[in-house]
Amino acid sequence: MGDIHIAEERCKGCGLCIDACPRGLISFAEDLNEKGYTYVEFTGDLEQCTGCTLCATACPDQGIEVWNKRGKQTFENTTGLTERMSHYCPGCTHGIIHRITAECLQELGLLDRTVGVAPVGCSVLAYEYFNVDMFEAAHGRAPAVATGAKRARPECIVFTYQGDGDLCSIGGNEILHAANRGEKITVIFVNNAIYGMTGGQMAPTTLPGQRTSTSPDGRDIEATGHPINMAELLATLSTPAYIARGSSHDPQHVLKTKKMIKKAFEHQASGTCFSFVEVLSTCPTNWGLAPQESGDWVRDHMIPQYPLGVIKQPESVS
Amino acid sequence: MSKATDVLMAGFGGQGMLLAGKLLAHAAMNDGREVSWLPSYGPEMRGGTANVIVCVSPEPIGSPLITTHAALVVMNLPSLEKFEGRVRPGGVIVVNSSLVERDPARDDCVVVTVNARRVAKEAGSDRAQNLVMLGAYVGASDVIPPASIEKAIENEFSGKKARFVPGSIAAFRAGVEIGRAAAATV
Amino acid sequence: MTKVLMKGNEALGEAAVRAGCRHFFGYPITPQTEIPEYLVKRLPQVGGVFVQAESEVASINMVMGAAGMGIRCMTSSSSPGISLMAEGVSYIAACELPCVIINMMRAGPGLGGILPAQSDYFQATRGHGHGDYQVIVLAPSSVQEAVDLMTLAFELAETYRNPVMVCADGMIGQMMEPVEFAGEPDALPPNEMGGDDWALGVREGRKRRIVNSLYLSPDELNEHNLKLKAKYDDIAAKETRHELYGPEGDAEGGGGYDLLLVAFGTMARICKTAIDDVRAEGLRAALFRPITLNPFPFADLRRAMDAIEGDGAVFDVEMSMGQMVYDVKLAAEGTRRIEFHGTAGGVVPSPDEVAQKIREILGAAPA
Repeated sequence: MGDIHIAEERCKGCGLCIDACPRGLISFAEDLNEKGYTYVEFTGDLEQCTGCTLCATACPDQGIEVWNKRGKQTFENTTGLTERMSHYCPGCTHGIIHRITAECLQELGLLDRTVGVAPVGCSVLAYEYFNVDMFEAAHGRAPAVATGAKRARPECIVFTYQGDGDLCSIGGNEILHAANRGEKITVIFVNNAIYGMTGGQMAPTTLPGQRTSTSPDGRDIEATGHPINMAELLATLSTPAYIARGSSHDPQHVLKTKKMIKKAFEHQASGTCFSFVEVLSTCPTNWGLAPQESGDWVRDHMIPQYPLGVIKQPESVS
Repeated sequence: MSKATDVLMAGFGGQGMLLAGKLLAHAAMNDGREVSWLPSYGPEMRGGTANVIVCVSPEPIGSPLITTHAALVVMNLPSLEKFEGRVRPGGVIVVNSSLVERDPARDDCVVVTVNARRVAKEAGSDRAQNLVMLGAYVGASDVIPPASIEKAIENEFSGKKARFVPGSIAAFRAGVEIGRAAAATV
Repeated sequence: MTKVLMKGNEALGEAAVRAGCRHFFGYPITPQTEIPEYLVKRLPQVGGVFVQAESEVASINMVMGAAGMGIRCMTSSSSPGISLMAEGVSYIAACELPCVIINMMRAGPGLGGILPAQSDYFQATRGHGHGDYQVIVLAPSSVQEAVDLMTLAFELAETYRNPVMVCADGMIGQMMEPVEFAGEPDALPPNEMGGDDWALGVREGRKRRIVNSLYLSPDELNEHNLKLKAKYDDIAAKETRHELYGPEGDAEGGGGYDLLLVAFGTMARICKTAIDDVRAEGLRAALFRPITLNPFPFADLRRAMDAIEGDGAVFDVEMSMGQMVYDVKLAAEGTRRIEFHGTAGGVVPSPDEVAQKIREILGAAPA
């Protein structure tokens, strides 16, 4: 039998772990935790838990740790994140993307020389969560700040963490030129097709027909253009780069995306090229969907628009 | 020779007035004087007129921008027409007669007319018309010993450009003679 | 030390290198383009970094990145480009990062023109971006002073961890004058700013650091502003600089003055020539030249105003429609009549024009 430990006080009750568990061993508790969320608890038969870690992989809030049958810890919270509870809404996958980014830095032994650049938008407070030196940049300017930082101290690992409004709209110029100069930085681009922090406005990545507070009848591509596929757009540049797109909507995709992020940091650490990983994510609050429905919406609507995979590699490794 | 003076040098872009002014400024600086070199830098630089004001003084230069001048060196007619009224009485006007067909309308100044093109050619350096003009100004005004300018020319044309030095100095010297002769006849 | 004849823009570039700056981020704009053109050649000679940014918005944010890593760095631009930097300067000031910005002012508003002007005085001295912050502003009036103030700019930036702007006009950038550089070209200071207790970078076990300007708690943000205010007050108390031209010790002038001109930068030089001209006619005028536009030397100017004989006036001259004149009025606190003359658009008042205005104010006959 395996064992899992659920930190009740960290749980926001999104239920993603419930759906992740292949054996249905996790369910909602009757009570509320001290933050007022219906937390989850392990209610199945411990004998049936294999310690597969999918529940922990799906948890956006570092709320679950796992041990396998031999008593070995198979999922441990990363030291690349602080212990602070995130401000993200229940079920938002920002927390997952934070975690896998931090895990990659930890596993590559880079935490001590990493400098992150937080954006403006939902992840504006990312500097509170990543357990590394952090800048908080102006809206859209993270790639410029990262350029200055990396050029000043090439020995550091410099990454930006940006949402779609920040990177794709107001910061379109900064990301384009950082990529084109081949800055040896890593960009984690979180695309949830909407402005979250300001309350659900249309983003450049909003899907055709998608309703937002500034496209109340659905995005009209005649008036507002088509969604911007940022990864493909950047891949058209001649400058060598590693460009990939993953998704955070279920544990399997989270694990694949983590490999992409790891590859991206490896390219930076070896000084190979600019690296960019777009990660599709959810916005249950502004989409008006439950967390699991949000994951389905990514699968059914976003992935057809934003195909997953490695889009470009530096020539030396392709 | 040691009192404060200034010159406005003007012509089409490419006629070398900015460089002539720079040589004067450089030479005067090396002689221990205060100098300023203030170019026009408006859109007229692109193919239009280019001019520069050089101030030379034993004292720190106050305003590098002045509207009346002790001397005027012009390579072309538009520059003469624009600036001849700004020369102070008793000043020096050097006109390039290879491009300017009329004489200045000033009878209260020392006027030096130089066929810069012909003199430069005779000195063996077709391109050094600007240095003929500079020489004529130096000869007529006695602003600085000609040897100081010659040193500045050697400094300016170094390395690959060193081959321009003899022709440039010859052109400059020819200009000095013309300037001196013109000043002596006044 | 030997004198070299250099264009203002190039001299500023060299002065930055001599001050230990090895990182430049900028975007081309007339009339300051010789600064990047100089540095793109010079910085590689000293192991430095030159990045031509995609915009002024980006270049100031690159400066923020490099400054946050504790590396001495700068950008330069001219008026319209400086407007684009307003956002970044606000962030840098809020994060208390040291950097130097050159504004080689040109005529506005809008695209304006490329000729010299002083019409960014408000923008420079009133912070120019959003929020309660200040930038130290230094205004050279010659190429040599521009060089000297570059050194000072980096010193002040690092002492106070604050952006410093060297605010000159296109004429200073474009003209050549003899300059002497302090220090040796091959013995440059390190480009580390001594950010041991604040800069980001390789941690080596220390606690992590954050360069941030977001304070969601009003009380904390209020505290942050109070801290910044205390710093600005300290700067104002210690760092004002000015020059008084004409009066005491000037044998020909005889010491006293009936009219006090106030002008900065290029305009101040023009006023000096005008003052020399009218003093030769027996008119007694002097010049007060602020070298720090922010902090503005209010107390020194007031003392110079109090020394005007009788009920003589103050005459403010600017290459603008009247911006510094507001500070001059603040200094006067209503005690003196303030006259103003200004031009814009790249039209530079001549010494004769200023001299004539002086005669008019003093009731003297035209020359």
